[in-house]
Amino acid sequence: MKSVFKNKSYDYLLFLGIFLILLPLGYLFDIVSITTISLWGRYFCFAIAAIGVDILWGYTGILCMCQALFFCMGGYGIAMHMLLSASGKGVYGSAIPDFMVWNQVASLPWFWEPFHGFPVAVLMCILIPGLFAGIFGYFIFKSRIKGVYFAIITQALALATWLLFLRNETMMGGTNGLTDFKMLLGFDLSTSATKFGLYIISCFVLIAVYIGVKQLVKSKFGKVLIAIRDSESRIRYTSYKIQNYKLVVFVLAAIIAAVGGMLYVPQTGIITPGRMNVTASIEMIIWVALGGRGKLKGAILGSLFINFLYSIFTTALPGSWLYVLGILFIVTVLYIDQGIIGLPNQIREYLNKLKTRKA
Amino acid sequence: MLFFKHIYTVIALQVTLFYFNLRIYTMKVYKCIVTCAMMLFSIAFYGNTNDDLTKLMSSDSEEKTEALRRLIEAQDLAAFPVLSAINDKKLFVYGGKLVTLGKKTTHNNITVYELITLYPETKGITDQKNKSLTLDNVDLKEITFSRKDRLSIIPLLPFINLTSIDDEVRKLAYTQFQNKGDYSTLKRIEKAALRETDEGLIRFAKETILSIRLQNATTENVQMDLIQKLVKNKGDNNLNILTTFIDRPELDAVFKKKVKIQISSIENRSNRIEWVQNLFSGVSLGSILILIALGLSIIYGLAGVINMAHGEFMMIGAYTSFCVQELFKMTSATGELSDFFFWASIPLAFLVSGLFGLLVERLILRKLYGKPLESLLATWGISLVLIQLARTIFGDLTSVKAPSVLSGGWEVVPQLVLPYNRIFIILMTTAMIVLTFLFLYRSKNGLRIRSVTQNRAMSACLGISTKKIDAMTFFIGSGIAGIAGCCMTLIGNVVPDMGQTYIVDSFLVVVTGGVGSLFGTIAAGLGIGQLTKLLEPVFQAVYGKVIILGFIIFFLQFKPKGLFPAKGRVADD
Repeated sequence: MKSVFKNKSYDYLLFLGIFLILLPLGYLFDIVSITTISLWGRYFCFAIAAIGVDILWGYTGILCMCQALFFCMGGYGIAMHMLLSASGKGVYGSAIPDFMVWNQVASLPWFWEPFHGFPVAVLMCILIPGLFAGIFGYFIFKSRIKGVYFAIITQALALATWLLFLRNETMMGGTNGLTDFKMLLGFDLSTSATKFGLYIISCFVLIAVYIGVKQLVKSKFGKVLIAIRDSESRIRYTSYKIQNYKLVVFVLAAIIAAVGGMLYVPQTGIITPGRMNVTASIEMIIWVALGGRGKLKGAILGSLFINFLYSIFTTALPGSWLYVLGILFIVTVLYIDQGIIGLPNQIREYLNKLKTRKA
Repeated sequence: MLFFKHIYTVIALQVTLFYFNLRIYTMKVYKCIVTCAMMLFSIAFYGNTNDDLTKLMSSDSEEKTEALRRLIEAQDLAAFPVLSAINDKKLFVYGGKLVTLGKKTTHNNITVYELITLYPETKGITDQKNKSLTLDNVDLKEITFSRKDRLSIIPLLPFINLTSIDDEVRKLAYTQFQNKGDYSTLKRIEKAALRETDEGLIRFAKETILSIRLQNATTENVQMDLIQKLVKNKGDNNLNILTTFIDRPELDAVFKKKVKIQISSIENRSNRIEWVQNLFSGVSLGSILILIALGLSIIYGLAGVINMAHGEFMMIGAYTSFCVQELFKMTSATGELSDFFFWASIPLAFLVSGLFGLLVERLILRKLYGKPLESLLATWGISLVLIQLARTIFGDLTSVKAPSVLSGGWEVVPQLVLPYNRIFIILMTTAMIVLTFLFLYRSKNGLRIRSVTQNRAMSACLGISTKKIDAMTFFIGSGIAGIAGCCMTLIGNVVPDMGQTYIVDSFLVVVTGGVGSLFGTIAAGLGIGQLTKLLEPVFQAVYGKVIILGFIIFFLQFKPKGLFPAKGRVADD
């Protein structure tokens, strides 16, 4: 904790001031609506996932195109729990979720069973993406697949699982996804108080994940990650087991994404396969790229900024969002490779260059 | 000859007379007398279907009704198309001839029908230039009949359908007779069968006749003979006919066994055909993947850039095809679209897509060489913009009309039909592979491309302008994608995100094949295509995809650099 506040810059205080003091105060005095609060709560979840992307791509140089998949694994897990805990209260009063009744399913599929109890459900939400990432990553990293190859393989993985989740017979709600959640741990999800609570929890989880990951990347482990990013073969020659480092980071990023997803779904009230397609994963990467890769603050800033932009553009100019996003991709990659966080630095350098040229 | 025909028709008429007699008992007496008189009249003045048909055109409604009645009674097959047209309320007079409306085409919101003569033969009317004549139906004089007259045709309808101008209607009519198995209909079906000219329909008619005979046959010898003929005929419904036949209770066990052998021979044949069909669709899918992956692979080998917008260059090619089609439609005087537009659009698609690729390379990717992941993101951004651009300009669903040469399919043996458009794509892919090979391995520029692919810095030292080579490669690679897009219009609609359908699979092809390796791409493309089609019948398409992904990951465990990795000992960084 201390190390965080040792930093001379005031951006931490700014973040905490806005999101933990100003917005809640605004909500208490009815200046800020609960929808806005909930919206930012969801952005925090994206920011959590973005931190995962950043340690993968920004620190270790692994471009993974299936982070949204892990995000959704967490989301689907908690959604299954919420549906099961409300069983019997659906339209049909059946013990199984409503969409299964439509699909003529008689009894609960076996893989839904563990999600009855909250602690087990949360554990599963973390374990399943972690295990999945572990197994997948083990084989991929073992064969030294990296760079563009890794990106393509993970993209194919994202596509394949997306197609699987679209199917009705996989018992995950098909195209419609899972929705119509009522309760979480006895709290009614439709009340403002619960929404506000989830906002606060998301904010704290984001801070906790940030601090934890910050410690990690500052440690020797983090230094090795950066070294892998900058020159993988040199690290290999100095007898580091690169594949293990990569695997740990990959699993960690998956778990972080899943945590984000778990917090996201109760706030949105729906999770569909659309959240896990290739586009969603690549969007997460652009959050980090625009915010500033290799800087955790950048990841958070980027995800909050782009999602804020998204809600502005989709309401003001529907249909223009893809243009904005596409151009953001190109401009970020071409001109602001250090992201928004590094922008002041970049401008300073540019001005210096101009000065020296004049002199 | 004419005399015999006469005799035959008189006999046929007497048969009808018999039928009518049955009905007559239920009729009132005066009606009976009138009908009898009519029949005698018709026998006396028989022989002139042509005459009756001319009378149909008369303005006197009673004369019309009478002529129609005589036509129905005469049951002359030649007149059936006319009766069918009456039943459809589509009988017209054009130039003193009875005509009906054929194929419908819509152009500029005006619907135009093709005209078809009905007697003595059914065929499209052509003008002096041998161009098929089309008229808006308001320009024709329609012949109308009362509802009662039209109803009188209904008992004949199944037989009328046997002479319909529409192949599908005839097929359906045959199927109906096949299912009924009524022996009394056989004679007329046999007559109708003689009119068939199309090979497939001849087979269908023959199958119908044999099937009806089989259903009415009693001795085992005849039955076996008919079954063997059916098997030899290779009709579509063979299996169905025989499996219903074998369920007959009166068959004895030994004979049943013999029939079973025939059934299993049919089943074997259809299995073999299915196998060939699967093989073919595997090759077809593989060739599509290769066509897309070819450009991708060359670009990746040269610049280390996986072009995420490659699918969109394909989309641009498809839209080029669409635009050429619209342009041809606008400029053609008659409003008819000649097939030429498609052939013209292929080189154009190459040019347009290639230019787009060149533009992207010049403006964006040039600055990102040596940063593969960044260029991946940038090209993804480009693809988003291009998709949205296409959606804004063209809307969501447009399609290109495939040239008529490529519609239909090649019937290798009965039941095995290979669609021409798929064959065309395979041929196109082969041509592109050969051209790319010749370009890369037999031309000066190809040599330069290969040398830059191998060692960029060294090539630059030896005086190769790497910038020019980069631009050229992007042009060619994107151009091939454009051609791929052009081919894709043959098998699907043109939609803004059409590039996304195959692109991930093509990425996998490139990864599996090995960096920039032409042969690797071909082998991996065919392999993945074939594997997909092999898995599809067993598992569903989605699970097949998952399995293939697992398979590729497994494969990369042993060959992390693909099937044909680039040789050399260059350190990564």
